[in-house]
Amino acid sequence: MTAAILVTGGGGVGKTTVSAAIGVAAARRGLETLVLTVDPARRLANALGLAELGAEPSKVQEEPLLWAAMLDASSSWEAIARRHADPAVAERLVNNDLFEAATGQFPASQSYAAAEEATGFVKQGTWDLVVVDTPPSAGGIEFFTAPANMTDLIGGRLLRWLTGGSLPGRRFFFDRAARPAIKIADAVLGAGLFERVTQFLMDLRTTYDGIAASSAEIDRTLATAQTLVVTTSDPTPMREAIRFFRELPPNAQHPTSVIFNRSLPVAWVDASASEDDAELAENFARWSTESSRQQRLRTQFSERYSTEVTTMDWQPTAPTDLDSLEALLTTAGGYSLENLWS
Amino acid sequence: MLDKRFIVVSGKGGVGKSAVAAAIAKSAARAGRNTLALSMVGNGMGLGAHLGMTALEFKPQQTEPNLHALSIDRSKALVEYIQIQVGLPSYATFTPAVRAFDVLASTAPAIREIVTMGKVLWEVKTGHWDLVVADGPPTGQIGSFLGAATTMANLVSSGRVADQSKWMREIQMDPAATELVLVSIPEELPTSETIEAIEWLDAHPVVGSHSIFANRVLPPLETEATGSGLAADAASLHRSLTSEQAIWLERLPTHLDLPFLFGAESASVVADRLADAMGASVS
Repeated sequence: MTAAILVTGGGGVGKTTVSAAIGVAAARRGLETLVLTVDPARRLANALGLAELGAEPSKVQEEPLLWAAMLDASSSWEAIARRHADPAVAERLVNNDLFEAATGQFPASQSYAAAEEATGFVKQGTWDLVVVDTPPSAGGIEFFTAPANMTDLIGGRLLRWLTGGSLPGRRFFFDRAARPAIKIADAVLGAGLFERVTQFLMDLRTTYDGIAASSAEIDRTLATAQTLVVTTSDPTPMREAIRFFRELPPNAQHPTSVIFNRSLPVAWVDASASEDDAELAENFARWSTESSRQQRLRTQFSERYSTEVTTMDWQPTAPTDLDSLEALLTTAGGYSLENLWS
Repeated sequence: MLDKRFIVVSGKGGVGKSAVAAAIAKSAARAGRNTLALSMVGNGMGLGAHLGMTALEFKPQQTEPNLHALSIDRSKALVEYIQIQVGLPSYATFTPAVRAFDVLASTAPAIREIVTMGKVLWEVKTGHWDLVVADGPPTGQIGSFLGAATTMANLVSSGRVADQSKWMREIQMDPAATELVLVSIPEELPTSETIEAIEWLDAHPVVGSHSIFANRVLPPLETEATGSGLAADAASLHRSLTSEQAIWLERLPTHLDLPFLFGAESASVVADRLADAMGASVS
């Protein structure tokens, strides 16, 4: 049975680095581990000893049990279309010039594609642990709401109405009920584009059964996965982290821990330094202010949302090798992430 | 910069894009310009928090003297778009027609963007505001938003949308009227994304002018002393961070530095302190 850890959080908080660190630590504790990442920084790929990450899992050379693969939203969308539509329809969908624009724009699409791909790897049973770094567009909870949103979008009342549901679609579509919509569309778009959009939506509609079944399976997998929320002490990622608790999706576990990345030493909180050099004394004072603010924020957060909190040190430079990745985890304070696999 | 009519702020997630947009809007308002700050994507919570509001609405609300703020709700923007800009009678905006159109809008390329950009540039065009500051889309999407008017013009050659695309492009392309501000921070991914965005803009002219703000830049330590105890630890971290930042700042084309804010307690304090830091360099 493959366990899954979902690493969520807002953009720029270090989700990818945290995912890689967890992957390295787990592999070194004997778990056959796959890290699924999204758009890693070049230095992180280098740290894993991988010049390039592909959609297929590749073995990390210097870490026998560690594998890594990259989630690519555009290519996984094509895979989704080919998986859930008839070959001819899939071909038409993929080659429709609306396809790229549309798939990139459905708010849920990137998250859905990632969730479906991740679920596939979990179900495959090859690994003991799959660590999923969620896409940047999914600030946290979108990753969990994606399957429902996707099913709703493809099979939603609105789209069913637009494309005529199971009825001979086009005829119903140009029926009187749709006339005001067509009027608007004609005025705004010109009839040609409208026609293409309609064809596209009708093709997309045929993927509904497949996507609905797949969504149910994704939900089951997500519901059994441990969730980590990564944030920094900055306002924007904090807001994303808070949303996770206020709007906890039904298919998500209460987060195992909230990781405050870029944390300053607790020893600096409300501390004063006896230092002769005036500039260094002033420098310590401002860092101490920042460290105190971070500490207050963490305490408030863990009390208000009754959650475990892990602190990861602010690293001046990004980890450059497997050891420094693992060190991120072993030097972390608060709730120990070693609990993830024990 | 504050004498422009439209400033759109973009940046990778987590670099402080909303904070910078709020700070520019506050600076303009405090310089006496009648300013509208608006959030183009998402729910506007970020921009709102930096302006000291719990939530923003589609209708402009005053947040301080000379400053109003709103958040673009796409469905409402669509109704307004259909009525005011496409000029269709109000019966056409009854659901489900609008909801059906909303599905189309999220499917066809450039429609969602043109509805949003249409609303933003409409606020610029009305002349009601001296300056409109937009908390814009993330860097990865500036092409589809700022390029929406062009894409639309290529898709439809005649009709009201084509007319609209024309005046939108005129405002956007006027260097005296429009400026795109790209916010970055001195780290690997934000820096490379900003550089890519600049290269894209050079190849695809969609705005009259653009500039770069480097956010969260640490102040230099002048002293050579290493110190002792906790002060030495802080100095060591500070020096490691500044030398790391220097690598990325050097790669970034001409930019304005904005300071790292120590101990800023709330989003609105962040925006106020950034506005102070911008001071004369944006006026």
